[in-house]
Amino acid sequence: MSSGHHHHEQDALIEKYGYDDHFHEHHEGDKFQFNFLTKYIFSMDHKIIARQFLFTGIFWAIIGAAMSIVFRFQLGFPDASMAWLKPILGKWIIINEAGIGTLEPEFYYALVTMHGTIIVFFVLTAGLSGTFSNFLIPLQLGARDMASPFLNMLSYWFFFLSSAVMFYSLFLSTGPFSGGWTAYPPLSALPQASIGSESGMTLWIVSLALFVVSVLLGGMNYITTVLNLRTKGMSLWRMPLTIWAFLVTAILGLLSFPVLFSGFLLLIFDRSMGTSFYLSDIFVNGMALDRIGGSPILYQHIFWFLGHPEVYIIILPAMGIVSEVLAVHARKPIFGYRAMVYSILAIAFLSFIVWAHHMFMSGVNPFLSNFFVVFTLIIAVPSAVKVFNWISTLYGGNIRLNTPMLFCIGFVSMFISGGLTGIFLGNSAIDIQQHDTYFVVAHFHIVMGVAAFFGMFAGVYNWFPKMFGRYMNDTLGKIHFWITLIGAYAVFGPMHFLGMAGVPRRYYLFDKFDAFSGFDDMNKFITIAAIVSFFAQILFVVNFFWSMYKGKRVTSQNPWGSNSLEWTTPIEAGHGNWPGKIPTVQRWSYDYGKDGIEFTQQHVPLRDGEKPSDH
Amino acid sequence: MSSEHTAHTGSHHTEVENWNGASEPFKASYGKLMMWYFLLSDAFTFSAFLIAYGTLRFSMPTWPVPDFVFSGLPGGIHHKPLIFVTIMTFVLIASSVTMVRAVQEGHRENKKGVVFWMILTIIGGLGFLGCQAWEWTTLIGGEKMSITRNPFGTHIENGTYLEGDGHDIKAGDSFTKGSSYLIHYHDGHFQPLKYKTEGGEVKTQQMGPKAFGALFFFITGFHGFHVFSGVVFLLIIALNVASGLYARRNNKYEMVEKIGLYWHFVDLVWVFVFLVFYLL
Amino acid sequence: MSHLSYEESKKLVMKGLIILAIVTLAEVFVALLGKGYLVKDFHLPVWLMYILMIVMSLYKAYFIVYYFMHMKYEVPGLVKSVLLPTLLLVWAVIAFFTEGKTWHDWRAQKNDRPIGSLTGLVDEKAKDVKSSGHGTVDQKENQLAPAHQDTLTKKDEHGDHSNDAETKKEAPSHH
Repeated sequence: MSSGHHHHEQDALIEKYGYDDHFHEHHEGDKFQFNFLTKYIFSMDHKIIARQFLFTGIFWAIIGAAMSIVFRFQLGFPDASMAWLKPILGKWIIINEAGIGTLEPEFYYALVTMHGTIIVFFVLTAGLSGTFSNFLIPLQLGARDMASPFLNMLSYWFFFLSSAVMFYSLFLSTGPFSGGWTAYPPLSALPQASIGSESGMTLWIVSLALFVVSVLLGGMNYITTVLNLRTKGMSLWRMPLTIWAFLVTAILGLLSFPVLFSGFLLLIFDRSMGTSFYLSDIFVNGMALDRIGGSPILYQHIFWFLGHPEVYIIILPAMGIVSEVLAVHARKPIFGYRAMVYSILAIAFLSFIVWAHHMFMSGVNPFLSNFFVVFTLIIAVPSAVKVFNWISTLYGGNIRLNTPMLFCIGFVSMFISGGLTGIFLGNSAIDIQQHDTYFVVAHFHIVMGVAAFFGMFAGVYNWFPKMFGRYMNDTLGKIHFWITLIGAYAVFGPMHFLGMAGVPRRYYLFDKFDAFSGFDDMNKFITIAAIVSFFAQILFVVNFFWSMYKGKRVTSQNPWGSNSLEWTTPIEAGHGNWPGKIPTVQRWSYDYGKDGIEFTQQHVPLRDGEKPSDH
Repeated sequence: MSSEHTAHTGSHHTEVENWNGASEPFKASYGKLMMWYFLLSDAFTFSAFLIAYGTLRFSMPTWPVPDFVFSGLPGGIHHKPLIFVTIMTFVLIASSVTMVRAVQEGHRENKKGVVFWMILTIIGGLGFLGCQAWEWTTLIGGEKMSITRNPFGTHIENGTYLEGDGHDIKAGDSFTKGSSYLIHYHDGHFQPLKYKTEGGEVKTQQMGPKAFGALFFFITGFHGFHVFSGVVFLLIIALNVASGLYARRNNKYEMVEKIGLYWHFVDLVWVFVFLVFYLL
Repeated sequence: MSHLSYEESKKLVMKGLIILAIVTLAEVFVALLGKGYLVKDFHLPVWLMYILMIVMSLYKAYFIVYYFMHMKYEVPGLVKSVLLPTLLLVWAVIAFFTEGKTWHDWRAQKNDRPIGSLTGLVDEKAKDVKSSGHGTVDQKENQLAPAHQDTLTKKDEHGDHSNDAETKKEAPSHH
C-alpha cells in the first residue's frame, strides 16, 4: 500500500464526514502536554498510561518468571548446588561445609506464592487488561480519552503503589508471604503460622487491597467509556471484538474484586483484631487457640467468587486481541461476530456461578458440587464456539504469517489443549484423583497462563507500531514464538503425566516418596525446557526495548491494512488522538476482502450499492 | 422544567439512534455513570459481608435473638425491643428525604435551597452516627460484647435457674428452649448462671456465638464508616455550593446529585443491615 | 433529570417519606407481633414472618433506588447495566447458605461437640452438655479432649487462670 496516498485519503474522509466535538477550542495548549513530569509520569493521556501499565507488567513478568526458574531448578535438580544464587537470594540459600548450597524450604514456598500472585494479578490482570484496555478503548471507539482521565491516572498509580508494597515485601527478613497465591487461612490469618505469614502477609494484603482500588478505578472508567463515549456511528454491534472483550472484562472486575476486598477485610480482622471469621479448632504447637466458630471454607468461597471471574479477567482480553489480530492478518472478517459476542457474555455470566469447582476437595457439600460441575461443563459450549470461529476465520484466509499472527494461532492451540483438561478437572469425581497434582498445574498454566501470554504477545507485536511508531523485529519475534510454543508444551505437557501418576504440586522435594522417584528425569527435562523458554522471553524483552529506539520506522498511518479506528490517527498521536475532527463510523470493523477490496476502514462510507455487512 | 419535560419525551423514539454513539446513550454524564458503577461494586462489597453473615449464622447451633439483644433505650430503659433502631432508621430515611430535596433545589439552580437541605441532611447523618455511637457504647461498655466475645446466648433446652443474676432473673425462674439470656459481667468476670434441666442435670449458661459480635460490629461499623465519609463529603460539597463553585459550572449542581446517589445508597444498605441484624 | 414538575416531585418526596416510614413500622410490627410481644401467646409462623420482612425490605430498596435515586427516570440501558448484575448474587446466596447449613449439620453429627466449643465459652460444664441428649458421652473423646478444653478455659473470661480443670469442676465460675 502506498502510504502517502492512504494518509491523505483518511484525513480527507475524516475532515468530510468527521464529527466535530470542538475539542480544540477547549484543549489548545492543554497544560498536560507540556512538561516532562505531566507528559510522561503523571500523565492523563490514556496512551501513556497504557504504556506505564505495559512497562510495569514487563518488569513484574521478568521477576515472576525468574522466580519460577529458581523453584523449577529445585524440582529438577534437587541435589545440585544452588550456591551460585547466593549473591541474589542471600540468606535463603544455605551453604554447608562442602560448599553445596540449598534453597530454604520456606523460601521455596514464598517463591511459589509470589510467582502466582505476580503473574496472576500484576502481569496478566494489570499488565494485560490495564495495557490494552487503556490503549485501545478510546482509540478504537473514536474517543478523545477515557471518561475520567484523572481517575485513569489514579488507577495506574494505585497499581504502582501496590507494586511497590509487594516489591518491598520481597526483601523482608522473614520473607514475602508463603501461603500460596490464594492466601487461605489459617496460614494467612495467623501470623504465628509460618515465617511468611508474618509481615510478608501483612504487606501482601495491603498490596492487594491497593490493587483492588486500581482495578475498580480502571474498570469504572472502561465501562463508562465504552457505554457512553463512542463516536458517532459506533453502535455496539460495530465495535471491534477487542472492545467487547475489554468491556466484559471490566464488568467482571467491577463485580468480583469488591467481593475479594470484603474477604480481605474479614481476613485482616482475623489477623489483627482477634476475630474468628475464618478460624475454628486451630492448634498451634499443641495448644488450642481460642479462635472458634468460623470456617476457612468461607474464605475459600469468597476468594473463588472473585477467583473464577479473575480467570476470565485474564483470558477474555487475550481472546479479544486474538479475534481482532486474527481477522486482520487472515484478511478475512471474523467468523461469527455475533456468536463471538454472545459467547463472551455467556462465559462472563457462567464465570460467576462456577467458583466452587476450585474447592471440590475442600469439604464442600457434595450435593452442591453437582451443580457446580454442571455449570462448569457448560462453559465448554461458548468456549468451543469461540475456538470454532477462530479456526473458521483462518480457513481459506489470505494468511500473513507474521509474529502477531503466529502468536494468535499459538493462542488457539494452547486454549484447546488447556481447555480439554479443564473438562477432566471440572468433574468432581475425577477431581478426587487429579486435585492438587501437577495435572492441575499443567491445565491452568496452559489455558490461562501461556494462552493469555500469547494473546498479550500478539497484542504487543501488533500494536507496537501504534504505541512507539516503530516495528518490532519480525525475525526475532518468530524465533521468540517458536521457542516459546515448543518450550511451553515441553514444560507443561509432561506435567499431565506427573499429575495422572498422582505427583502432588507444591512439594519442595520428592526424595521421601519411592512412588515418584521414577519421575526424576521428567522433572529435569521440564526444568531445562523452562530455562530455555525463559531465555526466549529475554529475547522478547531485548527486541522490545531495542525496537523502541532502533526498530524500523512506521511510515504509513495504517501499516497492517487494518479497519479499526486507531489506525486513522497520526503515527505519533498527541493527547486527544485525532488532530481535527473525530472520524464517524460508517460500517463494522471487519470488512476484509469485501466486494474484492482487500480492506475498508470503518470511517469509509458505504460505496454505491454496497450492502452493510453488520446486521 | 417544562422544557426539559418535552425534551425528554422526544428522546424515546430516538433510543436506537442514541446507541449509535456520539450522543451519550445513557443520557447521563460520565461522572454520574461512574458513581452508579462505583455503587454497584460497593453493593457487591456489602453483599459479600451480608452473605458471609448469613453463612456463619446458618453454621451455628444457636444465634442470639435480635429483639432481646437490641432492646434498650437511652435513659436506662430496658425491654423495649427494636424501638431504638426504628428511631435510627427514621433518622436515616429522613436524611435521605432531605437529600432528595437538595438535589431538586439544585435542578432549580436555587443555591440557598441546596445549602439548606444539605445542612439538614448532614444533621441527619450526624444524628444517625450519634445513635450508633450510643448503641455501640451500650453493647461494649454495658454488656461487654466485643468482636471477640458475645454474652448473648440462647437456651437449647427447658430448665429452671438455680440462682439469680441480680437483674431480671431470680432463682427458681424457669425458661424454655429457644429463649435468650445475657450473661452479666460483674467484678471483672462474666457470671454465667447455673440451671437445672428437666432431666435434673445441673448446667451452666454458655456464651453465644462469637461470630455474632464480630459481624455486628464489623458490618455496622463498615456501614457507619460509609455514613461518616458521606457526612464529610456532604460537608465539603455544601461548602462548595455556598461558595458558588457549582453555580459557575452551570450543570444543575451535578455534584450534589452524585453525592445524593451515594447518600441514598448508604440508606439502601441500611435497609438490608436492618433486615438481617434486627429483624430476622 | 426528572419527568416531573417541581411541585410534583416535592409531593413525591413527602410520599416517599411516608411510605418508607410506614413500611419500616410494618416490619417492626410484624417482628414484634410475630414473636409474641404485642398479643400474649400469639406467634406468627417463622417462615411467614421472614417472607413478610424480606418482601417489605425489597420494596423499600426498590423505592429508594427507583424514586430517590431516580432510576425510574433513567434510560433502560443504564437501568439494566446497574440492576441486572445484582442477580448474580442469587446463586451466591443459595450456594453460600447451603454451605453454612452443611457445616452446621456436619458439626451436629459430631455429637461430642459441646455447644460452647463453637460459641466461645467452654467451661467445666461442657461435659454435661455432651450428656444432655445433645450428644452422647464418649469416655475416649473426653480423654482426648482435655488439652483442648484446658487452653480454651484459660483464655476465657474467668479471670483466675491458675485453676486446673479439676478444681474448676468443683468451684464453678462464680467466685
